[in-house]
Amino acid sequence: MRVEVEVDGGVVKDAWISGSLFRGLEAIIKNRAPQDAFFISQRICGVCPVSHGHASSMSAEAAMGVQIPEGARLVRNILEGAQYLHSHILWFYTLAALDYVDPVKALQANIADTYALAHAAGTRVADFGAIAKRLSAFVERGQLSIFANGWFGHPEYPADMPAELHLIGVAHYLEALEMQAEAATIIAVMGGKFPHFMSSINGGTSWVPTEEKLDDVKFRLAKVNAFVREAMIPDTLAIAPFYLDALKFGGGGGNFLSFGVFDDPSFEIDNRYMPPGFSEGASLGLDTVDIDNVKEYTEHAWYSSPSGLNPKVGETVPAFTEYNTDDKYSWGKAVRYKDLPAEVGPLARMVVAYVKGDEAVQDLIDSTLAKLGAAGKPEVLVSLLGRVAARNLETAHTATLTEQFLNDLIAAVKAGPLELFTPHDITDGEGYGMWEAPRGALAHYMTVKNRKVDRYNVVTPSTWTCAPRDAAGRRGPMEEALIGTPVADIERPLNVVRVARSFDP
Amino acid sequence: MANEDHDALRSQLEFHGVSRRDFLKFCGSVAAILGMSESMIPQIAAAVEKGARLKPTLWLHGGICTGCTVAIAQVDTPDIATIVLDILSLKNMTINMASGDDLERIVADTLEDAENDIGFILIYEGSIMRGQGGNALREFGEPQIDRLKKKAEAAEAIVAVGSCAVDGGFVAAKPNPADAIGMKQFLDEAGIDTPLINLPTCPVNPEWIVATVINVLILGRLPEMDSFNRPSLIFGHPIHDLCPRRGHFENAQFVYEFGSKEEELGYCLYPVGCKGPQTFTNCPIVRWNRRASWCVESGAPCIGCGITSPKAGGNWVDVNAPFLKRHRDLKIGDMRIQPSTAGVIVGAAAAAALVAHGLGMKAAGRMDGEGAPYEEMKECDRKKGGGK
Ligand code: SF4
Ligand code: SF4
Repeated sequence: MRVEVEVDGGVVKDAWISGSLFRGLEAIIKNRAPQDAFFISQRICGVCPVSHGHASSMSAEAAMGVQIPEGARLVRNILEGAQYLHSHILWFYTLAALDYVDPVKALQANIADTYALAHAAGTRVADFGAIAKRLSAFVERGQLSIFANGWFGHPEYPADMPAELHLIGVAHYLEALEMQAEAATIIAVMGGKFPHFMSSINGGTSWVPTEEKLDDVKFRLAKVNAFVREAMIPDTLAIAPFYLDALKFGGGGGNFLSFGVFDDPSFEIDNRYMPPGFSEGASLGLDTVDIDNVKEYTEHAWYSSPSGLNPKVGETVPAFTEYNTDDKYSWGKAVRYKDLPAEVGPLARMVVAYVKGDEAVQDLIDSTLAKLGAAGKPEVLVSLLGRVAARNLETAHTATLTEQFLNDLIAAVKAGPLELFTPHDITDGEGYGMWEAPRGALAHYMTVKNRKVDRYNVVTPSTWTCAPRDAAGRRGPMEEALIGTPVADIERPLNVVRVARSFDP
Repeated sequence: MANEDHDALRSQLEFHGVSRRDFLKFCGSVAAILGMSESMIPQIAAAVEKGARLKPTLWLHGGICTGCTVAIAQVDTPDIATIVLDILSLKNMTINMASGDDLERIVADTLEDAENDIGFILIYEGSIMRGQGGNALREFGEPQIDRLKKKAEAAEAIVAVGSCAVDGGFVAAKPNPADAIGMKQFLDEAGIDTPLINLPTCPVNPEWIVATVINVLILGRLPEMDSFNRPSLIFGHPIHDLCPRRGHFENAQFVYEFGSKEEELGYCLYPVGCKGPQTFTNCPIVRWNRRASWCVESGAPCIGCGITSPKAGGNWVDVNAPFLKRHRDLKIGDMRIQPSTAGVIVGAAAAAALVAHGLGMKAAGRMDGEGAPYEEMKECDRKKGGGK
């Protein structure tokens, strides 16, 4: 992905996002067995393969008229939940944290004060003295490895954020490396490996839960969830007050879309644990989602295929011309809902769930807003800080849901015997799977003819987020969110990176 | 100087919470993956401590899904791996802190180091994208492939990680809309003779990267490799020979339906398409995600993502699809044999058999992208309940 911004008077005035990769996965899946799509299409993304795999299997199952059994529903929900935990922890600590936490500043921390601050913030303690000592050896040696050329000491790190808080952040950054691996291990136990898992085969799951394996999953999930509750959430609340300026920019167009995720026993899209919906503009009203409202525009993308098609009938014919922001400048199509750009991802899901009246989500958001001095003003969430906070709050929510799915599965195994797979024949048909990856709304469409895939199409979260301009010249969500971002140092536009990264593109 | 290095390493290890005991355990696992005896452990430890800082490692991206980068973060005893890679001065374009021009500067600095004889190892993830005049993948506003040549030439060795980097991977599957290829074909066509190590599977198994890079450091040369540049110790045996379900295969105890009673009993997945008999990797031994599991253990058949095609243009998807159908018997050389005996032959003469294996696959018609012929239910299967 390439971000181009126009800065005037220290503020972003215009922005263009260019998708830099064309792989043409749809063409690769065409003419293959419908079950093969699960294995191939999940490889679109090495961070959210579980969601792609699930959306693909759902599209095939819809096309064949197959209903997966209850046991498989629970297994798939747990796999999906574990991937959300993996993805969000990886994003917040490994990818984003050092945009907000400066390891060089952490060196000035007083160790006793660090413990006191950790206690006051209700966050986990670590051996802060040892970490500080080793951190200084690390920095002095100058072998910065993956930290090389980081923008530490940048003026956009808040001057008043105590060194002690920076040190806490670094300590949890290190612990998070361990925790993301633990979350991924849950997927491996239930799906063979991660990334790219094996078990959500069309018709259900190939994984048979045994007492021993369920114990293993339970232990690992408890460990990850404890980290989320004892470190990730308190860290967010402790760091956020130093970034209140980030409530004033990075918001974007204010249209939010979620397809919903985590099926309940009815398999009805409207009954999903994380609900679907489309919220347009400041009204915070809510529409049910309809796949027919999705259209892809190619005016500014390197395709010669017709513009404005629904993905069910969409075509992908690559035709590179040149990079020209007035004309075509991206491999990403401009996907629109009701012809409007829409933000997808954790903030969109939290807004939709909030407006829909999900009590757990309302409690999480209201209490957080109160702690940030913005009680009763959920609209401030439409900002850079709001987007970061929403992802972290969703992590806590997902932790609770995943525990519930696991407990349900354990109860179902005890009540046994558990159905895990629905045998079926391959027949001709058409289907789609609408789902949510950690990064946002996701849809796979499949048409089967003569027992082979005749048409396949995928609309990924990045297609929504990193969309270029559409036929009407409207910016995509990330382009829009960058407008108004303050830039103190044009050589090192840290805030621009923060806004772009907040979408987890 | 040596002492300083040792202290530096020790402080690095401690920074990541790694005890001496953990460190030796790690060296033991490297020895195991590389098939070395335990007596090599002190030598490996000394080599890592002394020599590991010599080579910076530049991790570059082609057409990726980022899966191999995510995979390296799932390595066993991750802190030690981080350290080994830190000491190697790993520069990965996704997880690196730097952005934009500063990221580009890291690459430039590494190339400059190469000119100053410090050298570097290039780890390459993703397919090489030739489509649309190279614009199927653009990097800093240019076709990525145009920028790769200089780096590939400057590197001391290239490690192609994951099937995409090895032969184009699933991206290169028919009809290969992005005209993707792997590193070997790229180097051959560009006339670059930088030594290459291929580590297929999708994604790469991270344990292999660490072990391979350390092997290069310990021995100061490339590991022993087969005709397709794969380390023989890792890719020398078919999965089928190493599989814990092999006993059930011999006893004809099979899983005919996913998530069934037979699966709970751990029966063999051959009838539902397991490609273990023709896939040469040590997945069942090294396993995945800190050795938590591997594909067959989740009740799904191996889909053969570790298969590489000796023929340009081949890839694991075209060779193995349809994934859930059983392939007909294997061919090795002129012989047409059942998988149970294939293992014995290959075990006896791994290197020769690998070549034969490649030829056999070709003779069986699996390399032309049509997918393998597969067989219908057999009478003996039906008797065992497969016909329901
Ligand atoms: S066919 Fe597959 S499951 Fe069966 S023994 Fe061989 S590798 Fe294992
Ligand atoms: S077991 Fe087979 S499918 Fe799984 S990683 Fe190994 S080679 Fe790939």
